[in-house]
Amino acid sequence: MAPPSSTPAEAVEHYRGHTVRLLSCLTSTHTTVSGYHAADHPHRLVLARGDAARLHADPRLTLLVTEQYEVRQSTAGWYVEIVGYLYAIGYEDRELVSYHWHPSGKSTITQPHMHVGAAVQIGDRWLGKVHLPTGMVGLEQVIALAIVELGVEPLRDDWERLIAEAAAR
Amino acid sequence: MATRTDNEIRELGPEEWAQLVDDKARALLGMSGEEFERRLNSGEIDIDDSPEITRVAMMLPLNGTSK
Repeated sequence: MAPPSSTPAEAVEHYRGHTVRLLSCLTSTHTTVSGYHAADHPHRLVLARGDAARLHADPRLTLLVTEQYEVRQSTAGWYVEIVGYLYAIGYEDRELVSYHWHPSGKSTITQPHMHVGAAVQIGDRWLGKVHLPTGMVGLEQVIALAIVELGVEPLRDDWERLIAEAAAR
Repeated sequence: MATRTDNEIRELGPEEWAQLVDDKARALLGMSGEEFERRLNSGEIDIDDSPEITRVAMMLPLNGTSK
């Protein structure tokens, strides 16, 4: 976990900077946040204004990132906690795999899960609609998946160090 | 008001964020952001109904108190 900050804005900037550094392993597309203050609802961070960012890969792969976060205060100071996420890797304009965690909405599925973009029918259900359970997934794991397993070209030489540092937080 | 640093928008205010959600809802789902949020919060739409719905829904605060 990141060291606590002295103000909410500093905590969000620390979180945003950390996220941007991780994303810079794959893309230079900008990120946007909805707030730098404590609030009674989660704030959001999106990559590319909610669009899928094109990755350096052949075949054509994309990355979609949205995180929900809250600015919280402990006795040590202010910090940001991620309270929901959507991480998706697309292939040829279709979602290949997406990791979801949306515990606070109306959905009955509140645990972290994933969907795969497979056109496989199981009885009257499509595999793509099935919520496949996962543990909590970190952005660094999705970035590692893209580089190591899917052949996306990293944009930084130190991507392994950044991923390792993020995994250790 | 949006805060600009290093030639990029870093923060969007509530109205600008609502506009971003509205643009996305219209482009991906063919409805306004307000209608989408109402139908999502009423349970008429489930967040996992489609990848496009998840994309827009995750841009809203999921405890249903964006206003």
